Amino acid sequence: MQKVATGPTLQGRIGQFQFTLRRQEAVTGFLFILPFVAFFVIFRVWPAIQAILMSFRQWEVLMPEHPYIGLNNFRELMNDDLWWLSLRNTSLFAVLTVIGNTLISLAAALVVIQPIRFQTLYRVVFYAPVLLSVSSVCVIWSWILNKEFGVLNYFLSKFGIAPVPWTADPNIVIPSLSLVTIWWGFGFPMLVFMAGLQAIPEHLYEAAKIDGANAWQRFRFVTLPLLRPTILFVTVTQFIAHLQVFGQSFIITGGGPGRSSYTVIMHLYYTAWRFYRMGYGAAMAVALGIVMIVLTLIQFRFFGRREEE
Amino acid sequence: MAAAYSDVGYRRIQLLKKTLVQIVLLFIAFVVFFPIMWMISQSLTPNSEVWDWPPQFIPQHPTLENYQTLFTRQDLAIGHWFVNSLFVSTITTILTLFITSLAAYSFARLRFPGRDIIFFIMLSALVIPAQVTLIPIFLLMRDFKWLDTYHALIWPAMANVFAVFMLRQFFLGIPRELEEAAILDGATRFGIYWRIILPMSSSALTALAIFVFLGSWNDLFWPLIVLNRLEMRTLPVGLTVLSSAYYTREQSLVQAGAVIASVPVLIFYAFFQRQILKGITFTGMAGM
Repeated sequence: MQKVATGPTLQGRIGQFQFTLRRQEAVTGFLFILPFVAFFVIFRVWPAIQAILMSFRQWEVLMPEHPYIGLNNFRELMNDDLWWLSLRNTSLFAVLTVIGNTLISLAAALVVIQPIRFQTLYRVVFYAPVLLSVSSVCVIWSWILNKEFGVLNYFLSKFGIAPVPWTADPNIVIPSLSLVTIWWGFGFPMLVFMAGLQAIPEHLYEAAKIDGANAWQRFRFVTLPLLRPTILFVTVTQFIAHLQVFGQSFIITGGGPGRSSYTVIMHLYYTAWRFYRMGYGAAMAVALGIVMIVLTLIQFRFFGRREEE
Repeated sequence: MAAAYSDVGYRRIQLLKKTLVQIVLLFIAFVVFFPIMWMISQSLTPNSEVWDWPPQFIPQHPTLENYQTLFTRQDLAIGHWFVNSLFVSTITTILTLFITSLAAYSFARLRFPGRDIIFFIMLSALVIPAQVTLIPIFLLMRDFKWLDTYHALIWPAMANVFAVFMLRQFFLGIPRELEEAAILDGATRFGIYWRIILPMSSSALTALAIFVFLGSWNDLFWPLIVLNRLEMRTLPVGLTVLSSAYYTREQSLVQAGAVIASVPVLIFYAFFQRQILKGITFTGMAGM
């Protein structure tokens, strides 16, 4: 009887103790996430909501009132020739850069993953430009690409090629900026591809070899299919990143010649911070955001499918 | 004999192939590295000679006068810019690491109501592009009277969801037994986080630190918007001003500015390339 009597009390005390512990843990848990959550709400959640609300208002910095104007900002955006031009320029830039970047970084990864001499040197050199700021990159390249005194045209002149107006011709300027960006950035997808290649089991290559597959066939029928998720990851994330191009145009060409390298983020910059039209700028940012979210969701879909397989 | 001969021949062909591949690769590596060397070489050339045709690949009269000019001229403040960049990047990195790792530890180990919902909301916010939030954060900075101060550069960077996500993944991989032993010894949760979890995560923290530091050091758009005074600028912003103002006349000066912005990072990279490449791959993979 005594045992029965003490049992619940002891258990009750243990339960009490566990309850206190658990409450303590919960309090600590809240306290630990509190600083981060505060920043997250102030600088992420609230601004995102605010951006959407602002996009329905005529919000100019110098005006005291910010009247609600419904969809007018978006209507204006649909009729804004500069918006469409910048979207066209930016898409062209992003497509060229992603294609170049993916091909070059994949080729580089395939080479530097081999057990060759100076392997580390190549990796280090190929990644080095990624560490530079966009400003440094543009300062370096606007001088290299200079039509009269640029060293690139000097090298080309050795092959009898007439000076190319890299940044002065409306038809060449976007590919030129793409070239600069590929040089700057291909090291990162290279590392991603290297990790993807390392994950491919060696025995598959051996099996392919035994079946008499040559190097090209091994690449085509083993490497490429198994690398598909990585390629998709690289192309989508790079495309989203390059839609946000700003510095290259801002520093090297100023959006020119004319408006031929004027980009979406540049348009946002001028609208919001040169003309102080914050409401219209917010509408622009929201529109761009929707494009990027759709792209991200497409990527998630494809990744989901990989896991199902 | 014939077999031996053909063996020698085969080896020779292999050697020749290897050498050819190496020559091609060394050439490509040279081409990739050339723009960086060109920047350095031009910065050491007197301004009157950067316009020479054919260009001087190795400066005939090497000089440090461009650097001297950069640091002494009144309408430039590259010393300030450098200090600003270094200060902002360092503080941002330390604070981000502390705040995000604390939250990540909580999300990984502590049980409290609503934990998984909060974490899920955070992850969904990763989908919202940073561009959308630029204007409201700018107006917030204006209301806080933080425009043209370090605050505007440092605090918004703390909302780094990606960092929390990455560190949480890493913390989940640390065996619980160590913590349980520490709890029996009467350690507090903060003590466990500080003395057990953080030291065991040095590789992840280093990777993240490099990532955050470089992001802050190299950022152009945000500092361009929120900074105004000449001496408040960071190096990337200062460089755009330098290049637009002096581009046509003093090219070697502009190149020297780019050297000051990039060579410290490259020297650091030369020493820690192994950790940096590993760390970048690690953080990049967490993004997958």
